[in-house]
Parts: sequence; C-alpha cells; structure tokens
Amino acid sequence: MKPLMLHGHERAITQIKYNREGDLLFSSSKDNKPNVWYSLNGERLGTFNGHQGAVWCIDVDWTTSRLISGGGDNSFRIWDCETGKEIGNIEAKSSVRTCLFSYSGNMAMYTTDRAMRNNCEIFVIDVRTVDSSISQAQPILRIPIESSDTRVSSVLWDNLEDTFITGHEDGAIFQWDFKAGKMVKSIKEHSLLINDMQWNKDGTLFITASKDNTAKLFDASDLSLLKTYKTERPVNSAAISPIFDHVVLGGGQDAMDVTTTSTRVGKFDSRFFHMVFEEEFGRVKGHFGPINSVAFHPDGKSYSSGGEDGYVRVHNFDPPYFEYNFDY
Amino acid sequence: MGALEELKSSRWADEVELEGGALPPSTEVFENGHKILTEYKYEGDKKIKIVRTYKIEKRKFSKTIAVRKTWKKFGESANDKPGPNPATTIVAEEVYMHYITSKEEDNKQEDDGLDKLKAMGDKNVVKCRTCSGDHWTSMCPWKDTAMAGGKDEKKAAEPSKPGGGTKYIPPNMREGATRTRSDNPNSGRRDDTTAIRIANLSEDTTEQEIEDLVKPYGPIHKLFLAKDKNTQLCKGFGYIHFKFKNDAAKAIEKLHGHGHNHLILTVEWSKPQTHNNN
Repeated sequence: MKPLMLHGHERAITQIKYNREGDLLFSSSKDNKPNVWYSLNGERLGTFNGHQGAVWCIDVDWTTSRLISGGGDNSFRIWDCETGKEIGNIEAKSSVRTCLFSYSGNMAMYTTDRAMRNNCEIFVIDVRTVDSSISQAQPILRIPIESSDTRVSSVLWDNLEDTFITGHEDGAIFQWDFKAGKMVKSIKEHSLLINDMQWNKDGTLFITASKDNTAKLFDASDLSLLKTYKTERPVNSAAISPIFDHVVLGGGQDAMDVTTTSTRVGKFDSRFFHMVFEEEFGRVKGHFGPINSVAFHPDGKSYSSGGEDGYVRVHNFDPPYFEYNFDY
Repeated sequence: MGALEELKSSRWADEVELEGGALPPSTEVFENGHKILTEYKYEGDKKIKIVRTYKIEKRKFSKTIAVRKTWKKFGESANDKPGPNPATTIVAEEVYMHYITSKEEDNKQEDDGLDKLKAMGDKNVVKCRTCSGDHWTSMCPWKDTAMAGGKDEKKAAEPSKPGGGTKYIPPNMREGATRTRSDNPNSGRRDDTTAIRIANLSEDTTEQEIEDLVKPYGPIHKLFLAKDKNTQLCKGFGYIHFKFKNDAAKAIEKLHGHGHNHLILTVEWSKPQTHNNN
C-alpha cells in the first residue's frame, strides 16, 4: 500500500478522528490549528484557526456539522465544519484534555486538567443552540474529581446517553450515571495512564490504550475485562476494526526518550492483533516517532495513524489483508 | 487519486531559452483522465522540473458526502486549488504490512511433515542433494564443511581414478554453488527460501489465475503479481511464497514448462535480492 502523508501540522499529532461516513478525517496537534482532510485523496479541506495553544482533543458530531476541540489554552471551542468558523468558546480554568459529543449530538462533554490549584472536572454542556452566549451558559452537569491522583485522560459515552465512562491517569476506569451525576462502578485493570478509549462498531465493547504497555478490551455492559494485548512499549491509541476481529495498536517510546533510540528500536509500527486470540499478526512501519492516535475508517478498508512526527498517514489496505486468515 | 512523481533536471534546451534565470510557469494539462502538473523550482543552483501525474476518478457517493465534497476550502487551505496540494499531501513510499508468523511453529510443522513422510515407509521421499542422506539438503550435516558435496563424487571418482587426489568438479557442483543461491537459509531473508518466481505470463493474467495454478501444490503465504502502475496489466512475472519448501519445490517441478494461456511458463526459485533494504 502507498500511504498518504498528510503534512498540515507543525507539531505532534494529538488525536485523529473520522466523521461518521468516513469521508472526512479530522486531526489535531500540539500546534494550534486542527485540520480537516478528505480521507479519499488526502486533500486538505481546511484548518480551524483560533486556538492559542496545543489542541489536545477533537470530536465531530454525527451530522458532520460541528467540530469541538479542547486545548492547552484553557478553552473549549465549537466550530462550524463547513466554513471553519468558530461559533462558540468556553473558557475553562485549566487545559481541556478530552472532549466528546454525545450520541445525539445535543450534548458535549469535556474534562479539564488538574492544574493551578484547580481540580480535574467533568463538564457536560447543552450544544443544541450554539452562539456567543454559550460561554455564560451553565453546564448541565459538573463533577469535580476530588481524589488528587486521578485526572481524567479519556472519556466515552455509553448506553446512548445514560452513562459515560472515564479513563484516568492512574489506570482506573469509572462508569457514571449521567442523570444522577454519580459514579456507579469503578475498576482498575491498568496500572498507568489510559491515553485512549474507543468503541467497537456496535458499542458493546471498548478498547483502552494505556502507558503500562497494554491495550485491554472490556465489555461495556459490566466493565468486565475480556482481552489483553501486550506489547513492550507504551500504547497511545487502540482501535477496533469495524469488519474483522482485528485491533490496531499505536504507540512507541515516550516522546522524551525518542532521541536516544533509533527508529528500529523505537518500535513505531502500527501493530495489528487478532481481537480474540490476543496475538499479533501484522505490523505496518512508517512513522518516525511514536504513534499518538489511530483510527479505522468506518468501512474498515483503510486506517490512519497520527504520530509524534507531525504526520498523519492514511493507509488503504492491500487485497492480501482482506484474504488474510488467522491460523489457529 | 494515484500520484506519480518524477524529478528531472531540466533539459539544456529549456535552460537556453530562459537564460535570465526566471522559472517557466507551471502548467496543468488534462489528458485522458489524468491531470499532469508541471512545476519548476530551484534546488541550490540546479533547476528542477517536477512532473506530477494525478489520476482523476469519478465515484458515486451518498448525497451527504457529495455535498461535503463541494464545500469551499477554508483556513490555511483557503487559497488551495482543487485537488490535493503537494505541500500538505504527500504520497509516501510503498509500505507493506509485515505479517508475523511464529517461526518455531513453522519449523515444527515442517518436521512433522517430514516425520509423516518417513513413517509412510518410502525412504526416497526425502533425499539430500549434497550427501544423498535421508534429510533436506538445507539440513545436511555436511553443508558447511569441506566434505560437502563429497560423498557422491568420491564414489564416482574413486573407481575411475584410484590414485588421483584432485578431481575436476563442474562449477555448479562445487560446494556452495547451488546451495547458497536458494537452499541455504542463512543467505538472504528466510522468506526467500520458500518463494518461487513465475515468468512468461501473459498480460491479462490475474492474481486469481495464478492462485488457482499454484494452489494444488500446497498452502501459500503470499502472492505477488507484478503489474503496470497505470494500466494494471501484468508485467509478465510474479512471486509466490509458499508456506513450506517442499511444496514450492513440487510446484517448480510441475509448473516449469507448463503451458498457460498459450505461453510456456518459466518457474524457478526466487533469487535473493541483491540489495537488501530490510
């Protein structure tokens, strides 16, 4: 396969996301402009200019009309996808680490870091009408995370919009009841920060990627641990194929250690595991640094990865991938 | 979109024309479904002509996607022309998914196969080409010693020339000659030892045809058919990686000289690459 290299960012990619149909690919990076691309030919549609610092997270709603982003400039912004104009801006007390649209797209959740004597907090806001007044609007839900060592590092909505799941800096996973605003369940299967969580296609399983060198597959209904995918490097992102029993893991050495290792030792490959047998069956090389975010195209025929090297690589699978049968 | 990139230093005739050092304007030509973009730039003192060929494809999509395709570009891309901007979209080098199969398992299976054959009682199923022993040539205990290739020849040589210590050995029989090319697993990648090359294929051969052709000889690991980048027509050869070596050997034996699409196929061991970019 000949990957497309999307070079629209000057610094490390932090997150990439496809829209629902998969024709657009959104990317955010530690420079201040999220980008949007046509996933088919790698043409850049535009950039969302306005953030003053690193952009940590992005999400797009199911109609591809709005994009939300949160950044290190202590702001949560809402954009119009078609024009790239900023339509809402909410100031936070500290940097916004994660953001996510709810299933209906009527609500959005974002979480802030614990910094400058501010607690880590979870906010849920109403985004049905977005204009300049949204910065004064009261959030629907606001949950401070008191215990000092568990900053939220990844979030997922669950059960349509009834519950949500948060992954934490210390490896814990909490499930919250949205209407009650209370935690209902907590587990701790990881020992270090959970960098990413992603659903499978029908929302029954989710995969977590953790700095403790593993990715784990959980059953969403009772948060039971189903599978563990072990590697020898921190895992920054993991995604589940919508058409096969495959998961892809992206990771590699911490950015701070990269200069002391060559690309060969760094293991900056995307690694494909069989979802059920937990066994690695394939690797794809390409990035010059650790992979920070991976995503499958919704049709399962291509996948993309964004790396610390600032490139997003769009890979279309070759025919042998579709014919590949795992021997067991 | 498939893009080919080609770097050429400009022709001397172009240079004479533009002695002032000004760069010729970039041109865009549309030609039977391809967009050919020609640009000039300086790299140091050298003038460089860049020709990029894009294939224009029409595809059918749902309405929502089609509408999004007509959106105007914005932000940093507001001034980009339609089509990918070479500054932000680069076609990377070809990469392959590297499939991982457990090495130990493969060896074990091969041994099992050998044992099974032996158990069938037919002693001549496996015969070493070096010492005629009851093992694969690549497993021959003599293979790395000076004795390699010795046994048979001594037998043959001694009756005819009892006192002679030196004896002519044809180049292809000398130690290492045939073995290093394809049999010795230490040369080149391990993969190559089970790979065969099929040549003299007709232009319209497809992967499926090749697969049907080689399937009866055993499970295959990988199949590659060389194709022209633009026309997608077969270039006339292909490589097949078998799971097991004896299957590959069998395929060579049976398919070499076999007629396919009115052409006589040439089938041989795949030679290891001269430059290993692994």
